[in-house]
Amino acid sequence: MNKPAPNWIRLITITFCVVIGTFIISLLLLVVTKPSPDAIIDSIMSHEIQFAIYLSLVTSLISTLLCILTAVPAAYALARYEFFGKITLKMVLDMPLALPPLVAGVGLLLFFGTTPLGQTLAEIGLVFVFTPLGIIIAQYFVNLPFMLRIMRSTFESISPRYEYVAKTLGCSNIRAIWWVTIPMASNGLLAGSVITWAKGIGEFGAALMIAGATRMVTETLPISLFLNMSCGKLNYAMSAATILIVISVVSLYIFERYGGSARL
Amino acid sequence: MLEIIDISKDMGEFLLDAISLQVEKGDYLVIIGPTGAGKTILLETIAGVYPPDQGRIRLNGEDITYREPKDRNICMVYQDYMLFPHLTVEENVGFGLKAHWVNADERKKRVREITDIVGISHLLHRYPDTLSGGEKQRAAISRAIVLNPEVLLLDEPLSALDGQTREMMRGELKRLHMLFQTTIIHITHNFWEVFSLADKVAVMNKGKIVQCDIPDAILRRPNCEFVAQFMGGENLFKGTCKINGELTEIDVDGTIIVSSSCAPSQEVYVSIRPEDIIISKKPVQTSARNIFSGIVTDVIDSGTLVTVFIDTGIQFRVVLTRLGWEEMNISCGEELYMLCKASSVHLFSE
Repeated sequence: MNKPAPNWIRLITITFCVVIGTFIISLLLLVVTKPSPDAIIDSIMSHEIQFAIYLSLVTSLISTLLCILTAVPAAYALARYEFFGKITLKMVLDMPLALPPLVAGVGLLLFFGTTPLGQTLAEIGLVFVFTPLGIIIAQYFVNLPFMLRIMRSTFESISPRYEYVAKTLGCSNIRAIWWVTIPMASNGLLAGSVITWAKGIGEFGAALMIAGATRMVTETLPISLFLNMSCGKLNYAMSAATILIVISVVSLYIFERYGGSARL
Repeated sequence: MLEIIDISKDMGEFLLDAISLQVEKGDYLVIIGPTGAGKTILLETIAGVYPPDQGRIRLNGEDITYREPKDRNICMVYQDYMLFPHLTVEENVGFGLKAHWVNADERKKRVREITDIVGISHLLHRYPDTLSGGEKQRAAISRAIVLNPEVLLLDEPLSALDGQTREMMRGELKRLHMLFQTTIIHITHNFWEVFSLADKVAVMNKGKIVQCDIPDAILRRPNCEFVAQFMGGENLFKGTCKINGELTEIDVDGTIIVSSSCAPSQEVYVSIRPEDIIISKKPVQTSARNIFSGIVTDVIDSGTLVTVFIDTGIQFRVVLTRLGWEEMNISCGEELYMLCKASSVHLFSE
């Protein structure tokens, strides 16, 4: 024996990776290549898919913005301060991550449809049930934990001493955060926003529950995929799926490229 | 003048326990202590990062205990520099000026001036990631002194640097201190690093200041066993005193050591700096009160200095220069005479 024994564990475990990877890639390729390229272009140019793209973009951008505005301060508090009930609160804030989106959707439907607060909001014109506003709130609710976790790990990776130094150099507390911590967190912010946005565009279950699936009203790309599959318009369904795949691939790349220390 | 009066702070892992210190304007105070003594917490409390649990801090007579860090004009340089990675050296150094709303032209001018003095004006466009340790340190110090602070706090500024850079940086600190006359508090765990810099030294252990004095006094007249050990007072013995006229005779396991210090108590610690002992191969006529003969038990050659261990009934350490050692041609097992003056023998009680 003058050759080292083959490392079977290495071989077998790598085989697992390759098999799983091949499975994923083949699914994606099947979807993308199902209709002919011409049929995809035709579908994308159609009024219905254009509406779905437009509605998806608008709702996901707004919900991502809301996620940034609320998750950044909350993540900062969780990363920087010790306070009573922090561990419990952390778990509660991560809850939507483990919750089935359909359940989240039912909760939202009850909240906006039956509580006095929901009714008051409806009276002043903010109607969430069966409207695009419902899609936004569904995306926001389901994706908030992603933004929160990414920003928390980003803030945790930045030593608070940078802020201390900024303060001794003449910054107020808020300016130290604004001039030092936020710019240093910019990669995490970018990565978090992209992943939140991509998740928002793909949000289906919760949105279905509160906003319903009404053609040309609450028809986002995933809803469009669902509606067109149900009535056999395969080309429309597949082009919606293709767009969703492209968005996922690009956003995953951006997340891995700029995420830095940000982790889900 | 900076006065720290009875400051306590409990941070769980680290604590400050009733610390009082006074630093005169323009003084260079070195605080020295082992890792975990609470040195960084003390600096951060002075800078205003944490409010103390009790005690006051006064700067030039004004109470600044609860004043915000930005209004204290006390700057801090951390061991790992904490240069803002998203800003160039120029923007880093100008950061404090910008925070004080100094306009862009004036800022550029002052950053240029200070970086010329510190010798990093050729690095202004670079980002911190691309700088060497010494360059980062200079940038961090420039960022602080450009504001002309009342007090400059330095957290282990030399320990992260390699030997040669450290030597250069030490000279630089001395020069900047002379030039700007800034009050400096410098913390370190290595006394030799700062012996030549310090006007005053405070020794810290377990959140307390155990001794505060001029460097020579800390070195030669430690007030407790901890300070003596920490300063590397290798000849440290415990004995009982007997007063003999103006002198004190201490019996250490049968060896009588004579000191000109007053005995603080019956049981005392005796410390003699290894470099205060002279050795010779023959008996010599001298005015020194302490003359012992002993056998060389070990010789440790550490490059520039040589430590010789001599057993006279108790174990002494003597430090020689390499040249002195070569001239004397000492080897193990040889009998030697060692002498030291009564004034070099320092006494303290526990």
